[in-house]
Amino acid sequence: MLTCSVRCQRASRQLFASSSTNPFVQTRSYASQPKKGQVVKQASQGFKGKKGALPGQAEPAKKDKKMAFQPLPVSQLPHPLFESDRPDTLSLQSFHPEMLTRIVESQALKFPHNDNDPFRIFGLPRNILVEYRLLSKPCSVIRSVTIDAINKLDAASEKESWQSRVIFTGPQGCGKSFLLLQAMQYCNARDWLVLYIPRATSLVNSTTAHVYDMRTRTYLQPVFAYQTLQRFLKVNAPKLEQLRTQTDLEIERRPAVPADTPLVELINIGLKDQGLAPTVLSAVLEVIGKQTTFPMLLAIDDFQALYGKSHYRDQHFSAIKSYHLSMPRLLLEYASGRKSFARGAVFGALSMSNTTFPLPLELCEALSLEYDRPYGPYVKRSSELVKYTHRLEKLAVPNSLTIPEAASVFDVWMKDRAVPTKPNDELFLSKYSEASGNARAFVWKGLLSSIST
Amino acid sequence: MNVLRRPPGLSSFRFYSTQTTRPFVPPASLNHLELPQRQREKPRPASPSFYTARPDFYDQLTSLESALQHAKTALTTCHLLPLPQFARTALPPRVNAWVDKRELGLKLRSNLTTSRYRRVVLVLNELETYRAIAEKAGIMELQEGIRGITELFERADAATMLARGKSKPVKFDEYGRSYTLGKRKTSSARVWIVPAQRPPADPSTTALSTQATETDSALDALLNPHSSSKSNEHVSVAQILVNNTPLSTYFPIPADRTRVIHPLKLTGLLGAYNIFAIVRGGGTSGQSGAVAHGIAKGLAAHEPAVATILRKGKILRRDPRMVERKKPGLAKARKRYTWVKR
Repeated sequence: MLTCSVRCQRASRQLFASSSTNPFVQTRSYASQPKKGQVVKQASQGFKGKKGALPGQAEPAKKDKKMAFQPLPVSQLPHPLFESDRPDTLSLQSFHPEMLTRIVESQALKFPHNDNDPFRIFGLPRNILVEYRLLSKPCSVIRSVTIDAINKLDAASEKESWQSRVIFTGPQGCGKSFLLLQAMQYCNARDWLVLYIPRATSLVNSTTAHVYDMRTRTYLQPVFAYQTLQRFLKVNAPKLEQLRTQTDLEIERRPAVPADTPLVELINIGLKDQGLAPTVLSAVLEVIGKQTTFPMLLAIDDFQALYGKSHYRDQHFSAIKSYHLSMPRLLLEYASGRKSFARGAVFGALSMSNTTFPLPLELCEALSLEYDRPYGPYVKRSSELVKYTHRLEKLAVPNSLTIPEAASVFDVWMKDRAVPTKPNDELFLSKYSEASGNARAFVWKGLLSSIST
Repeated sequence: MNVLRRPPGLSSFRFYSTQTTRPFVPPASLNHLELPQRQREKPRPASPSFYTARPDFYDQLTSLESALQHAKTALTTCHLLPLPQFARTALPPRVNAWVDKRELGLKLRSNLTTSRYRRVVLVLNELETYRAIAEKAGIMELQEGIRGITELFERADAATMLARGKSKPVKFDEYGRSYTLGKRKTSSARVWIVPAQRPPADPSTTALSTQATETDSALDALLNPHSSSKSNEHVSVAQILVNNTPLSTYFPIPADRTRVIHPLKLTGLLGAYNIFAIVRGGGTSGQSGAVAHGIAKGLAAHEPAVATILRKGKILRRDPRMVERKKPGLAKARKRYTWVKR
């Protein structure tokens, strides 16, 4: 009990750095932030809260030191058996937006290495993260759906975001998350503002504190809002410095932010005080929504997690609906078109592998997908969720890779010596046939799990 | 007294003759008379087997035996009988499928006992032997003559009876699909295999390919092993559907998938055929084994040259291993209860 109350106090202190304490704060001990350097067992979805990091500190989101598997750096492998000094046979061209045409279809391109790479800062979905741990450099294969998505983005850059809300659908392991990653990298290279949520499940699976707010009558998630602001600022810093607020903005517990303030200053207000982060985040997105200098991409993976009950519990121990939480609510507003960016798009990718956050009926009906449970006119559909799925567009990712695409994937893994077997066409065709062309099955259950030579 | 004269009072009451013998007439006195020939009281029997117990049966048997005799004479005149031992062994061993006793009885219009049935069958077997000799020698007339007799006594389903125990050849339908069955443990799979279609060659690509020959491309590959030039050859891929779902969806375990692909991999026919299977019964590994067995049989039907490889790889044989029964006094099939010293 003592430990519980001590942790509660520590949590509340971290959340509200300002002296004023809100008597209506509800915090949960399980959501306490661990001390810096404390090793914490990672949940399967990473995205753990920043351990009370000081605002403004340049903290590159070096992913998950606490993950179970971390490959050794090359410098620690001096034995000749590891062949650390062998020349790099995986020669890939760089992912440049100009070269993305139908000609480079089914070619593997590597993502550029920058300090402010969006996927290094924002993080990656778990499956992609593990793959990039095994590969020598982060890369992906350009498919025909990539070119389709990029064409949609080019069209969306001139239109309002409510007109370009696209969700990637397809069976498990077909490449939706990779496609979203490629779209996000393209936008970043094309000087868009990018906000990428790699694991939307972590917004609703009760891993960070939630606080009921009387003003908005929703549960705020200050930690997530704070992290999002921090990462958003880091990735898009040069573009955000050019933007300014147009109107006065009211923010609680401090004087109003006047018009024509640099946007970076507004973000820093949220970074200084974690409790103000949710308000600041929505204000920042509103300001960006009004400006037309830069188009904005909001990319959300695990999109279906926003449309269901969260794992948070209210005081009656009933599950809190996702649209009653601040972060999912914000994302839902933009995804449904109720709020819009003047230029930009909202892209989402469903995740079929997650059984704790399955595909809800409302989303299935909006995207005309098959629902695996019995449904009919007597099954209740939540009217709020139906409104939030209004006119979502679907981009179906094909289940099987074409032969040239699969050949590129095979090439990448073979040249990187990630697979111990000899690369030959029999291995390729047999694993491709076993996987029926499915990308994840081909790589993980085919190439990486086989011991046949 | 004249016996022909009837007493007057009794002429209306006598309906029979009391005289049983005729008066004696010496035959010489009748020589000049032309009397009609007297009918025999009993007509001469039509066949010699009239006085046997079963005249119809013996008639038929006699006619069969006479046919046999004719055939034997014919073959003897052609110097084919008596056949030397080496020639007789060279004849294909024939298992005959004659009608059963009841049917034969109906044909011969008499109830047959086993010994009579056996007697007929012996004759038929001999006839069949002579037919085989005639066929082998090429005497078609004789062979057809004997065949005309023996086919009357053959079972309707003779072909099926004779093919019992032999593996039936796999039939192809009008689209070139083979249909085979595969089994493993308690699972059974019905497998249809059809050759994968190749797309018609583009005239543009064929024009290009005529310029670069195979040796050129092979040399290119040798000299520049790291070049990423990809040939535009179309690679056909086998589509495998099990219970109308793709293979990777139906069998999530990699071992099951590998088992299904194994016959294709062994024979090098990975992209050549599309496969559709309906499988029922058992569990995952049993079903995957059944599908693999069906695929192996289908591939052997499509390409007979490949059957040896599959037989050597032991996939063509139905795996006879089944779940062993539990025995009394044992916990399971082999597991014994814990031994207690006292």
